[in-house]
This record gives sequence, C-alpha cells and structure tokens, in this order.
Amino acid sequence: MRTTQAPTSAAAESSTWRALSRVEIDLFVRSMMTAYEVVGVQKKHGRMTMDKVEDPSELLLEFPPQVHSPKKFLFPNWQKLFRFSLGGKVHLEADKAAVPRVIFGMHPCDLHAVQVLDDCLFEGEADSVYRSKREATLLIGVDCLPDEHCFCSSVGTDRTDSGFDLFFHRADEGYLVQSGSERGEALLRRHAPQIAKRDEEAPLPLQVKPCEHQLDFAVDALAPLLGDVYDHHLWKEIGERCLGCGACTLLCPTCYCFNVEDRMDDDLAGGERVRTWDSCQFDHFTRVAGGRDFRSDQADRQRHRFFRKYKYLWEKHERTACVGCGRCSRECLANIAPVNVLNRLFVEEASPELKALPANEYQPDMVEIIAVEDLTNQDKLFRLRLNTPIYFTPGMFVAISIFGLGEAPFTIASSSDDDMHVEIVVRAKGALTRALHRLQPGDSVGLRGPFGHGFQVEDFTGRDLLLVAGGLGLVTLRSLLLSLLADRQSFGTIQLLYGVRNIDHMLFQKELLEWHGSNQLDCRFAIKEPGNSWGVPTGDITHLFRNLDLQPQLTSVAVSGPAGMYRFVNPLLLRMGVDEEALFLNLERHMKCGLGKCGKCRINDVCVCETGPIFPYSKVKHLKEAIER
Amino acid sequence: MKPRIGFFDFTGCEGCQLTILNLAEKLLDVLDLVEVVEFREVQGHCNEDLDIAFVEGSICRPDEEKRLRMIRTRSKKLITLGACADLAGINIAHEEAGGVELAMAVYGSDSKHLQGGQARPVSAIVPIDGRIPGCPVDGQEFLSILHALLLDRPTNLPAFSLCVECKLAELPCTFEQGIVCLGPVVRAGCNALCIEGGDRCRGCRGLVDNPRESSYHRVLETFNRSVDDILEEYRTYNLRIDEE
Repeated sequence: MRTTQAPTSAAAESSTWRALSRVEIDLFVRSMMTAYEVVGVQKKHGRMTMDKVEDPSELLLEFPPQVHSPKKFLFPNWQKLFRFSLGGKVHLEADKAAVPRVIFGMHPCDLHAVQVLDDCLFEGEADSVYRSKREATLLIGVDCLPDEHCFCSSVGTDRTDSGFDLFFHRADEGYLVQSGSERGEALLRRHAPQIAKRDEEAPLPLQVKPCEHQLDFAVDALAPLLGDVYDHHLWKEIGERCLGCGACTLLCPTCYCFNVEDRMDDDLAGGERVRTWDSCQFDHFTRVAGGRDFRSDQADRQRHRFFRKYKYLWEKHERTACVGCGRCSRECLANIAPVNVLNRLFVEEASPELKALPANEYQPDMVEIIAVEDLTNQDKLFRLRLNTPIYFTPGMFVAISIFGLGEAPFTIASSSDDDMHVEIVVRAKGALTRALHRLQPGDSVGLRGPFGHGFQVEDFTGRDLLLVAGGLGLVTLRSLLLSLLADRQSFGTIQLLYGVRNIDHMLFQKELLEWHGSNQLDCRFAIKEPGNSWGVPTGDITHLFRNLDLQPQLTSVAVSGPAGMYRFVNPLLLRMGVDEEALFLNLERHMKCGLGKCGKCRINDVCVCETGPIFPYSKVKHLKEAIER
Repeated sequence: MKPRIGFFDFTGCEGCQLTILNLAEKLLDVLDLVEVVEFREVQGHCNEDLDIAFVEGSICRPDEEKRLRMIRTRSKKLITLGACADLAGINIAHEEAGGVELAMAVYGSDSKHLQGGQARPVSAIVPIDGRIPGCPVDGQEFLSILHALLLDRPTNLPAFSLCVECKLAELPCTFEQGIVCLGPVVRAGCNALCIEGGDRCRGCRGLVDNPRESSYHRVLETFNRSVDDILEEYRTYNLRIDEE
C-alpha cells in the first residue's frame, strides 16, 4: 500500500497577498502560455466553456456557476491508458507524460472537488494517470457568486484557504492575488516578477456566500440521516421521475466512475485501451457476465448516488463528496435537486436529536405564481409551480404565506394527477386574501403542505358518484372531479349538484358549462336568488334531489359546502338509502398549523388537519360540533 | 481470404451509402481488410455468397421482400444500415399521409409506377445480426461496427441517451429554450449533431433499450406538452412506444 500526498493540499499558512490589475493579469497569462497550456473560461459559440486560452484578454475571471467543471482536464472522459499493436507479438506502448497545464478559473467548490478526487484516487494504490495530470497542473482559483442551484454554503465549500496554487480575489480596484503554495509563488516570480516583488497587502476575510438554497440542517447530520432512510419511499418517487440520462454524474465535479475499453485503429493494426466516464445511472453499469444486473432499478441507482456522495465517502474521508455546486440539479430535466431530497428526508425521517433547527416545520417553501384567473368578481384562481413534487389526494390543503400578513389554509382545487402544480381559489375577504389578489404571475408566495386527509379516489373504483357542492365548497369537489375524470372509465355514473346564492358567485363557470355539455357527467345547478341569466330554476340545492336518478347502494357521495347545507342534505341522502360509510363530508375548520398541534381545527376531540377535512359520515355523526349551526 | 462484404439498398435515399463513400481515405483502410463484392452505388451486382451484408432502406413492396430474403440466404451476417432499414424511418410517412396523395404531391400525376406499400423495417422480414442506426448513419460508427464484426466482438451500440453527448459537448439543453427534444429517450452515438447545429433531436437513431417513458412524459407535461404532441414527434422515424 502506498499513499501519495496531493501536490497542493497543504494549507497555505504563509500565503501572501499582492495587488494587481486586469492588464497585469493578461500579461501574466501571456507569459505562462510560453511554458504551460493555460485553460480558463471563455465565451465560445455564445456559451461559456473552459478551454485552452489563445488570447488572455478573452479569459473570464468572473463567470456563473453553470460552467462545466474543470474535472475534464484532471480526469478526462477519454483517457488513453496505453497503445497496443496487433500482428505477431502484442506490443504495448505507454502514454506520454501529461501536458504541463494551468487551470485558471477554479471556483472554491471546484477546488474542494479536487480534494475529493484526491481522496478517492490517491487512496491505496494511487491512480498514476490522474497523479501525472494532477502533478503537471497548477490550480488558480477565482471567486464566484452562487445562483439558485448552489448550496455550497450548506456543505462548507463556498470558500477555501487551501487547495490552490494561486487565488485571484476581486478587490475594489483590480484584484488581489493570494498565493497558496510554493509552486504558486514560483509561478508568480517567474511569470509576473514585478508583482512578486510588490509589497504585501492585508488579506481579505473569507466571505460566506449568500446561497438562497440551503440544507435545513448541519452537514454532519447527513450520514446518520441517510443511515435511517435506506428504504424510504422517496427513492421510489425519485426513481419514477429519473430519466436515467446520467447528466447528474457526468456534470458532477467529483464523480469519477469509469469504464475501460479497446478502441481500434481504422486499419485494425492496433488500437488504444481507453478509459471513459461511466455512470451509476446507466443501464449496463452494474450488469455482469450472463446478463444479470445487480442494480437495475432507477430508484436504487439514485439512492446509490446519494448514499455515495453523502454517506459512504463521508464515512471514509470525513468530507462530503458533494461540493454543492448545483450542476446536477441545474441540468436535470426531472428536477431532482439534492437539497430538496435531503431536506425532505430530514423533515420526514430524521430522529428528533438530529432535528437541530427549531421551527423548521413552520418554514414555507417559496413557490412561483404562474397564472392568475378571475373566476368571479371576488374569487381568483392561482396556479402555483412547486419546487418539488407533492403527493396529495383531493380534499387536502396547503398553507399559503404572505410575509407580514401571515398564513392561511387553502384547499387544493387542482387534480391530484399533477404533482408539480397546485391551484387554489382565493376569495378577497381579509388582509391576506386581498394581498393575494394583488399578486401577478411571476410573484412568489410561501407554501407549506400538503396537509390533511382527502378522498381516497381508488376506493371509488366501480362505484357511482354523487358530488354535492354549495358555494365555495365546489373548490374541493373540483379537485375530486378532475381526478375522477382523469381516469373516467374506472367509475360508474358521476353526478354533480351545485348550488349558489346568486349567479355572480358561481365558480368555474366555463368548466361547468363544458362538463354540462359533455357526456362524462350529469351536472345540475340551483341558484337561490331569482332571475338568473342561465335560466336555472330558482331554489336551494335540495330542489336538485327531486328528480335524482340514484342507486343508493352503489353510490358514494361527497358533500362540500357551508355548514348549514349539511343539516338539510345529509338527512335527504340517508333517507334515500345512501350508506353512512359511503357519505363523505368536507368539514373544513381553521387549520392553522396543519401539524395537528395548534388546536384551532378540533371538532370535539377530532383534529381536522390530521384526520380530515374529508370524513365519512359514520366517523363524525356522534360529534356534536361537526354539523352545528 | 479477406471477408466478403456487400451493400444493398431498398426504399431510401441512399444517403447512408454516400456517407460510407465519404469516409474517403478511411474507406481505403477498410478495403485492405475486406473485399467489397457488391455495392450498387459504385459497381454492378453479382450473386455470390457474402460474409457480411449491409442493407439500406425500408422494405415496401413484395419484390423487395423477396430480394431481401435472397440476400439473407447468401449472407452469413446481415446488418441494417440507417434508419430506414432499422425503423422503417421516414418512409412511414407514406402510411401516415396516404400513399397515393403523397406520391401525387411529390412526383405529380405521372407517378403511378412509383406506388409503394407499407414501409417495414428489415427486421420485420428477416432476422438481423446487428444495426447501424441514424439518418444518415455515422461513418465512424459504421467503421467500429465493421471492426467489431471482423474481430468477432459484440456489435454494441451506446446504451445511454443523447443527453449524455449534449452534456459532454457542453451544449445548452434544448428544453431550456422551450423546445421539446427526443434526446432523453433516444440512443446516443451521433455526438449530438443536430443539437450542435441548433435543431432538436428528432429520434433518427431510435429509442434507447430502456426508455424511461413515464418520466419523459412527466417532463413534457412540465413543458406544457401533451402525450399526443409527442406521439406526433415519435412518428417522424416510426419510434414505437407504449401508448398509455
């Protein structure tokens, strides 16, 4: 066993700081180009990429974090291991020595990533191909500004005082260059002698980066957290979303798993044995001779990726193998973002002693309003785009925050089929709802949830459905109805009865007309105040029960409306022969915390946000407060 | 004796054979390794036994079917060349648009002799021993498949999706520009040529072995596309998916 010290891993205790201008940096780069291949970030074909520098003035020292990682120079995708020739005796030919190179443009996270590669590739028998590149390469750091995918400040990689040969900090006028190694000092002396002779400047303090994306807990809680969640259902959910494209691992600055294969010359006289990047997300990665695949499920592959980054390598090297650069989530079409995954695992599964941050469960997630529609002159429909999918059943609710005005519960009005969006209906009544009415698409609100217990749509399979809605109660039943219509053939007849005080209060008028005109369901309306323009008979909702064609034993009924409505509707339905177990009531109360704690939504001894707001009649009929005045 | 190979074309534009001719000097290296017995695009035809037959084009008429069976009988290995032979390719438009109308639109009224039937992939008629996908094929991939055949190695194609090659080429994702791309479910190997050129992936190389269709459809929904929209896109090259 042999271990190799990484060339630039020694902490820069004696680092020096000197001022210089951008013009002087260009001269420094030009001089280095005589002795090294200098690579750095430049704009090519309209995009920023790290590549060989031809003109120092085109080298960018400030660039956004989405530029692909410098891994490609230290551990390239295509690495010749040796050449061979066929014909007669097989002849092997070693690769030439690595090109002396300067990587000018390492963000702090990428410098940390090199430490992870060092940990893994120098461990045990050092990988000599990597070592030769690493030793022939000087690393020059530059600073950066995190974007919405970065979470470097959560994993402690937003800054560094070691791991580089030189580091260029932006200063008020020009730059300060910090030396990080003897090689870095020597590079300055040789290629920028005037600057090396310059008086030293005072060091800048290490700055904490302002990441908006953060882990909700300390990074050292990660390994123990993952130890508890090997069988968590979240992996399956992620596995179902994952496209298996492997972009996450290819873009990761610390992923290095590889394949080795022979590539032949065109004349088949010889060829190269090459090392190419591979991915634990690919089919074939874990396939063995005979065709068996030891990790064929995408859920298991994603879990493996997370466990390796945050648990296995942490336990081995006491360093998280993820540097929080956000490249994986930035380019993931399925929106699989480590911070969201880990935070969700933490909220759902972490043992109490790990949950160090108080009030975590009260913190909303900021979500974007993507559409606003006027339903009536006092009701608006808001469509919200979620950052992570949520799983809900119709009848469940979310808590919406406007900071300064507080938080209020809103029933989800949209179909449970779409887990990346929710729609809510807001009637402008109080300060918070009036403020919501002033918001536009593009604005953000806080969201917690989903909370509660809704309709179990799969229990309705094969049954007839009667939906009875009064006023705003339609919001809940719209979610149910959309979910039923998404799988229409699974159910028998569907009837919707909807009663409102006056026609101006009617929600979802366009959809009601569409449903009415379709052969998917039977829609009937009642309007209490006389003289409506739809020609609907005047009267309350009980009028709609008169000519109802119903097979009571085959029908499940959902009732959602103002408290008074239940007093008339429930006895009617029970008299018609509807089963108490098949009659579901929406008993919304003021569900403040959604966590079963605050006590505001209790009906006698039942906590609505835990067991409701959707209840079978049989479960609540004994509660005196359930169907009160 | 050098292995004997032949190139055959059926319904198609012969662009795949042209791609192989365009290999120029590299093709001369190939000629040191094999004997080209038949290649209609450059020489006449004979009826000899072959070690490897490369078949281009989709099979549309009974006489084509018969000729293909003959080629199969006299060839040890049969490899499809290009999307038409592999998937029936864009010739499937014949079926979609209605054969007579399409022939009229393209060739005018004097097109009765150009009538074809339903386009089918080669594998629907005879067993095949390997595939070189693409519209047209990639010359380098043709060479590596030929090498594999000559060395008796498996003729494996990349098992991963086009997204991999986009990432390696550091190309911005087509989806970021609001354009729907088949890349996440289509087999890599073209070095993301169309994406590099500013287009989207239209799927000429066929689906990966294990396309994650439900994940892909979920992504499409987040980009406000329906499954129907994408089925239309699959049709260009006759890609077959589970229609849920």
